Amino acid sequence: MKKQWIQDFRAIPFLLPFFIAYMIFTIFPIFKGLEMSLYDWTLVRKIEFVGLENYTKMFTDRHFWRTLWNTTFFVILTTPTMVLLALGLALLSNLNTKFKTFFRSSFFIPSILSVSVISFLMIFMLQPYNGLVNNIIQMIGIDAEPKWMADQGLAWVTIVVVTLWWTVGFNMILFLAGLQDIPHSLYEASEIDGASRWDMFKYITLPQLIPIGRVILLLQVLASYKVFAQILLITGGGPGGATRPLIQYIYEVGFNQNNLGYAATMSYALFFILLILSIIQLKSQRSGEN
Amino acid sequence: MSNRRFSNEATIEVKKSKNTVLQRNRDPKLGLKVTLGFIIALIFILPIIWMLFVSIKPNGFSTTEPFEWFLPPYTFYNYVDIMFGSLIFRWLFNSLFVAVITTILTLIITSLAAFAISQMKFRFKNFIFIFFLLGLMIPGEATIIPLYEVAKSFGLIDTYAGLILPMIASPLGVIILKSFFDNVPKEVVESAIIDGCSYFKLFYKIVLPLAKPALSAIGIFTFIGSWNNFLWPYLSVLSETLYTLPVGLPVFNATYSQAYVQPMTANAIASIPVIIAFLIFEKQIVKGISFTGIKG
Repeated sequence: MKKQWIQDFRAIPFLLPFFIAYMIFTIFPIFKGLEMSLYDWTLVRKIEFVGLENYTKMFTDRHFWRTLWNTTFFVILTTPTMVLLALGLALLSNLNTKFKTFFRSSFFIPSILSVSVISFLMIFMLQPYNGLVNNIIQMIGIDAEPKWMADQGLAWVTIVVVTLWWTVGFNMILFLAGLQDIPHSLYEASEIDGASRWDMFKYITLPQLIPIGRVILLLQVLASYKVFAQILLITGGGPGGATRPLIQYIYEVGFNQNNLGYAATMSYALFFILLILSIIQLKSQRSGEN
Repeated sequence: MSNRRFSNEATIEVKKSKNTVLQRNRDPKLGLKVTLGFIIALIFILPIIWMLFVSIKPNGFSTTEPFEWFLPPYTFYNYVDIMFGSLIFRWLFNSLFVAVITTILTLIITSLAAFAISQMKFRFKNFIFIFFLLGLMIPGEATIIPLYEVAKSFGLIDTYAGLILPMIASPLGVIILKSFFDNVPKEVVESAIIDGCSYFKLFYKIVLPLAKPALSAIGIFTFIGSWNNFLWPYLSVLSETLYTLPVGLPVFNATYSQAYVQPMTANAIASIPVIIAFLIFEKQIVKGISFTGIKG
């Protein structure tokens, strides 16, 4: 009994630094957020207890629903395109040529750049009249002046394409690792059986990639629900709020409208969406391992 | 000696047979695929190359002819101008400082905790591990408003400590390191303990060096994450002198709506260090992604 106590005591210095940081900055804010959502709470201090008022407000706030839909729309647009593009680029980087490292590096390098850099690169490249993209379009003979950031439909295209370009590298490398894990003997055996390249792709490569594909799909949904910075910087949520995501609205309510209580309430809604998604992810990963 | 010769011959034979397989099974569309790969690769790096070329154009340059962006005259004056005439250099320092300290602290606290959970015996161990695991499901973006209040009550708003400390408790780091430490041979640990080695010595003399691949993967990702972190510095820093590059660049760029050269030079200054680091550490980064992505 006494010995056990000594053992416990020895573990404390190892656990304590992580434990303290984890409690203060990860666990405590969850409870703090619950408290804040029940108050009228400004940037300076808490004003008064309002019960569930913030929650009833949220359910009837059309800006909340609109921005939640915008975020969901972004998830719907980016997830399938991201998975397909990542798979395609991984297949290209896995080709048996001396350029494979060049391909992989080129596809991955945008991922290491800061969101501010890629956003402003795009703003400058996509400007009407003297932006590089429109000038190239005109050079190849198309007489058009697309307003990439001011037109509602094009603004979505811009955001999705920029996000794909910026983040696909990470998913591509996951697929590439999956491709390289496929046992070579499977291909050799099928070759003896006279399978064509397309047969091999359909019956060996794709099925073997399903586990990693599922991980990528769910990670992508989770990441896309947190979209904020590139939209804020490229379109500012515009035109007319058409691309404004939920996190931007939460930020504006909290810091521009000075209403942290209501911002914390909406954060809770986002929290539950992401919590459910990550439980699904952990569950499916567990079942994938078994 | 004879062994080596034997293995050499064996590899030659393997190479030969591989070649014949390849020849028989040559992809007829390989050329087409490689061309497609080249076109996409060029599209992917074109914006970055354009940025680098614009940054060495004379001040005030603009054109509607796409090729002219890439032609001389060149000058490096913009770099000198921006490094000394703006806060970019300060923000570059802030970003580096915050990223380095965040990475070091993350590695220290996660490896200590992972070591205790992996190698030591104490009560409630499983409970504590599961409690740390829960952190994986808590999205930082969704708790950032209360985090702001918490940081405020500790006096961390608008400080370096405020930029660093909330980012260091990485549950994923603990999980990855624990699974790595679990693979340290039991005999090594037991004989060290019998020899009177303290747990702390065991930790940093024996277990930690064995976990180098995991440590470098976590280190690289923590660094990139911190270097590119936008939301938290955007909320928690108010003074321009404390901005990190991701927060400072938009402020700097927003003052130039039509001029190209200064904003692209600023973007290039922010990107060149990470591009160089990427080219040096590419192998580790690629390995690290497949490692953490599959495990986490």
